[in-house]
Amino acid sequence: MIGIVTLVIGLILGYMGQRSRFCTISGIRDLYLVRDTYRFKGLVGIIIGAVLGFSIFRLIGGDFPGFPLLSEGINVEPPLLIPIMIFGAFGMAFFSTMAEGCPFRQHIMFGEGRLSGMLYIGGLVLGVIFFDIVIVPYLQLLTIAG
Amino acid sequence: MGIKMKLPEIRYNFKLSANLALITGLTMGVLAAVAQGYFEVQPPVGLGVCAITHPSNLVNWVANNVFGTEFTIHGIFVAVPVLTPIGWIIGSFVAALKNKEFKFRRGPVRENLLAVIFGFLIVNLALLWGSCPIRTAVLASYGWIFAMIILATIVIGVIVSCEYIKWKVRRM
Repeated sequence: MIGIVTLVIGLILGYMGQRSRFCTISGIRDLYLVRDTYRFKGLVGIIIGAVLGFSIFRLIGGDFPGFPLLSEGINVEPPLLIPIMIFGAFGMAFFSTMAEGCPFRQHIMFGEGRLSGMLYIGGLVLGVIFFDIVIVPYLQLLTIAG
Repeated sequence: MGIKMKLPEIRYNFKLSANLALITGLTMGVLAAVAQGYFEVQPPVGLGVCAITHPSNLVNWVANNVFGTEFTIHGIFVAVPVLTPIGWIIGSFVAALKNKEFKFRRGPVRENLLAVIFGFLIVNLALLWGSCPIRTAVLASYGWIFAMIILATIVIGVIVSCEYIKWKVRRM
């Protein structure tokens, strides 16, 4: 069931993403550089849609454990991982701006026939395997130490 | 004798084409909630849409099932693979084909090797945090304060990158 659900969600968002040129990173970039709000509204849309979705569906029986998490504070275990996570998010945003698109946008460009989108996804696949083999053992050590 | 009444003219300022990205974002947020709330795409929370954990789970699933590796996969995607990334590519392909926009072409990254490096580097950095910007926004909407901090970090990262690119262009 999960396979079909994720495929259908992917198809809908893939179609809409291509038509709208939706991109989270370009949205922030365009707003900062040229004061263009078109794509930035997409990021705002996610927040509005998710808040409404979580709130409304929770009232009609949806399963959202702990929502809203506000009372739990930062809640990262172990806290040793916090600077690593912030570094990762900063780096992702920094290089995604240079790659001219967030990871979602790169998948869309792949579907549009863009060579760099295809090569980016190829790099992403290699990167995931590298992360599993090289980075994960270090993170596990840090988690144990923390 | 008929009385003619002039109805007040109602003008809508909302233009669909100017707000397609907003509508896509709203749909993403709602679908992330639907996937979690009704189709049990959890734990962890807010996993309905993510352009980093979903592809990495799919790659790990394929590696585990084809090559017998034991790479980490979220519990819910162990038996059945997550197919969102495949859906994005096919959905985009269909949309581009239907609107006569599909064409094999270079770009936006001009150098091929650089595009591969970006994909490699970005997924490693993103996996340190554990989410893409979309899921970060969803998690912030879920009320997780740390995700809100990360969202602010992403904004700062984009701004610093823009300033770096501007500085580099000025030097050329």
